[in-house]
Formats: sequence, structure tokens, C-alpha cells
Amino acid sequence: MSGELIEIKGEMTLISVLRLASAEIELIRQGVQNKRDSVPQLFANSPLVVDCSQLGDGCAALDMVRLRATILDLGFIPVGIRNITDTCVEAAIQAGWAVLRAGRATGASVRVERSVSEEKADADVPTTVMTSVKVIDRPLRSGQQVYFPEGSLVILQHTSAGSEILAGGSVHVYGSLRGRVLAGIGGDTSARIFCQKLEAELVAIAGHYRLLDDIDTNLKGSPAMVWLEGEKLKIAPMF
Amino acid sequence: MSRIVVVTSGKGGVGKTTTSAAFSTGLAMRGYKTAVIDFDVGLRNLDLIMGCERRVVYDFVNVINNEATLNQALIRDKHVENLYVLPASQTRDKDALTPEGVGRVMDELHELGFDFIVCDSPAGIERGAHMAMYYADDAVVVTNPEVSSVRDSDRILGLLQSKTHRAKQGETVREHLLITRYSPARVQSGEMLSMEDILEILAVPLIGVIPESQSVLQASNSGAPVILDKASDAGQAYDDFVRRFLGETVPHRFLEVEKKGFFKKLFG
Repeated sequence: MSGELIEIKGEMTLISVLRLASAEIELIRQGVQNKRDSVPQLFANSPLVVDCSQLGDGCAALDMVRLRATILDLGFIPVGIRNITDTCVEAAIQAGWAVLRAGRATGASVRVERSVSEEKADADVPTTVMTSVKVIDRPLRSGQQVYFPEGSLVILQHTSAGSEILAGGSVHVYGSLRGRVLAGIGGDTSARIFCQKLEAELVAIAGHYRLLDDIDTNLKGSPAMVWLEGEKLKIAPMF
Repeated sequence: MSRIVVVTSGKGGVGKTTTSAAFSTGLAMRGYKTAVIDFDVGLRNLDLIMGCERRVVYDFVNVINNEATLNQALIRDKHVENLYVLPASQTRDKDALTPEGVGRVMDELHELGFDFIVCDSPAGIERGAHMAMYYADDAVVVTNPEVSSVRDSDRILGLLQSKTHRAKQGETVREHLLITRYSPARVQSGEMLSMEDILEILAVPLIGVIPESQSVLQASNSGAPVILDKASDAGQAYDDFVRRFLGETVPHRFLEVEKKGFFKKLFG
């Protein structure tokens, strides 16, 4: 097979899904803009799939051309649209949309906090394995924050009370873990937290968090692992 | 090149100015031409501790604003040779300090042939503290054996490795931990954090432990840095610290509870 110039394979990729609750373009613009401005570094130039399952027949009222223009205008790359009614397919293709087959049920994904107005669009991030790793070789001091949505974080030293670690994947701390640590911030429920000495203020995986005050005290100060089992955050000694 | 050392802590009242005065005096006593700069613009104290408050004509801000030359503003210390004090302005605030202005003063001090420039940082993490640490090669982080002081020092250590000129060049500021107001008796009774606890939290090389001592207050009030008081434990501890800073290996002292002899028990 080495002679092939190109290869086309069906693969899974992490992609943001914009779930519409309204066909009103201005409301969509507002909602997406608010989301984008809250975490600009997460969304800059990111591809976006529009999901219309909540609209149902309301799809017909959706202006496919303006929708596409609005999304581009906000700095996203519109990749495709899904869950539209059959009557809308033609208009979507005309407007330059790739019509995707219905996605799987989104039960596994973690919903970004719903905005106050019901009409606002929600952005959902499905889970996909991330492989990138970032290594920090200095202590993480009080007031410092490491943000690495692209993958896992490895801290070779201790982290102090008042520090914050945010990773898309897992977090490994080869010293005392004293600050806050949030793994799987993009919704990766398989992310885990490992540390040499658990003294964290707060641990979280994919949005499920626990304070150390709630944790069995005999785990404090010992090597521990944190993972998610269903909806429950589990903490256990490593050795 | 002059070596620039910032004395900093985050928290107020832990002994930054006392340390700056003792440290710069100790360096000068060993023959190094040393300048000590008060960065606490608006709350000037260093001149009091150094006993030169009546000789302040021009100050640091005057030099930054080109209202006076550096030579006019530098005050020659009356206790030791080779030591010069650059006092802070009492009537201005910390916005008067700019990276360009501070950088120019550092360059001029270097041209005047100073070996060491000691920057006495104000408390906090705002402009004054930021400017004091900005050009530092070394940082002496002063900590009391108390949780909030340790937490604030930790914060300062983070800033030293992100907000300084060296950090921006991809280099690191050398860190030294100085524990002050250490009372072995209170550590033993569990009222104070021990040296080991502090080192465990901060993970920075220890350069000295200064015991809690009456002589520090006396020295401050009399305007003579405590290092000149050779009989006091604090003075000796500061001297050890200066020697360690200059590369000597000196064992740590004053870490154990002093055993009271028969006569001490009798007479206190």
C-alpha cells in the first residue's frame, strides 16, 4: 500500500457542535458571540457543526445563507449541518453547507453551562481522545495558572495552594498537589488526575468536582488517582 | 556587571527593610561597593533604619524624573564605607516608577562601578513591588514562619519567574529563601511553622534563618542596621546570611531551643 499518494479514511475528530434552539439569526449571533468571547482562545478559528435537532420543523424558517455568513463572521469555520428536516436539505446544499448524517446521541458530552435566554445557541464539545502532552518543570506557585486544552499536563514539581491547573486531558503531578486541578475540561470523561501527594483544594474531571474537605482524610498526603465512574468522581490511593 | 538583588516578600512587616539594611551593610563591610534603593515610594522607611533620614535632599523619583543626578541623590552611609543609600520619595506614589526610569538608574549605578545593587521592595504585588523585582538577578524572599506569609512568598516566587526582565529573556532569577522572626521555642510548642514546613511548601534554597530578637527593634529605632550589633544573635545570623550569599559554606545556627544553664535559670 506504500505506493498510494493519498488515503481517505473515516476518522473521529474533536469538533464543536452548535445546537440551535431558535431559527432567529440575530439570537444565534448573540449566543455564539457570547460563548466565543467567554473563552476566545478555545474557539478561535475552530470548525463548527450546526445541529438542528431541537428546531424540528422550525428548520424551514432558518436562513441557511445568513447562518453560514454569521458563523464565518464570528470567526468560526462552518463545516456542516445535521439533523435538518428533509425539506431543508436542498436549501442547505444551495447555501454551501455539507449536510451530515445525524450524529450519535450526545449523552456522553458535557454541556457547556446553558445561557439564561432559552433561544440562545449552546455549544457542545463531544469527547475525543487527545494525545498532546505538555510538561512543566517548575513548581506551580500560588496565583499561577496552567491552561492546556489540547491534551495532558505533566507537572514535575509541586503545585501550591492557590494555583490552578486546567487540562483537556489527564493531569500528572510528581510532587505535592495543593492547588485546584481540573482535568478533561473539554468534556473528556476518561481523563484522570494522578499525584504523588494529594493535598488539593479541589479536583474536577469533565465538570464533576469535589473539594478535598469532602474527601476521606486518610487519602490526604498520599499518592492518589482521581477518575470518573459514571457521574461519580472516585478517589483512591495509587499504591 | 553590577549584581542586582531584590529583597521581597509579598506580605508586609516581615522584615524586608531590616534585611535590606543589614544585607547591604554586610556586603559593604566585606569591601563590595553597594547601593541600596528604597522602592517603597510614599512610605519611605529605609533611610530611618539606615539612620540617614536627616540627610535626604533628593530621592529616587527625582533621579527618575531627571530632577537630580544620581550622585546628588546617593547618600553615603555613615557606618560603613562603600555603602550608598538611594532613598524613596515620601510625597509621591508608586506610579512615578517606570521600567525605563528604573532601568536607567540601574545602568548609571553600574557605570559608577557598584558591585551590588540591593532593591528594597514594598509589600504587595503591585507596581512598586513589580518595579523592584523587574531587573533583579537574584531575589531574597523574606518569609515569617506563618501561613499567610508563606502563601504570599509563594505568590511572589511565581511573579519572579514570570514578570521580571530575566523571565522575559527566558532566563531565571536566582531564588534565596530567608526566614526571619524565627522562634525555635514557639516552633517546638507548635505555634509556628517549622523551617522544614516552610521549605516543603516553597521548595526554594534556604540562605538563612534570622531568630526573633529584641536587638532588631533596638537597631531599627537607633538607625543602625542590626548586622552592626555583633553581639546579638540576629546580627550574627545576618552576617552568616551575607557570607552564604557570597558563596561561603556556613552552617545554619539558632534553629534549636537554647538550653538554659543554671545561672540563666536563676537570673533569667
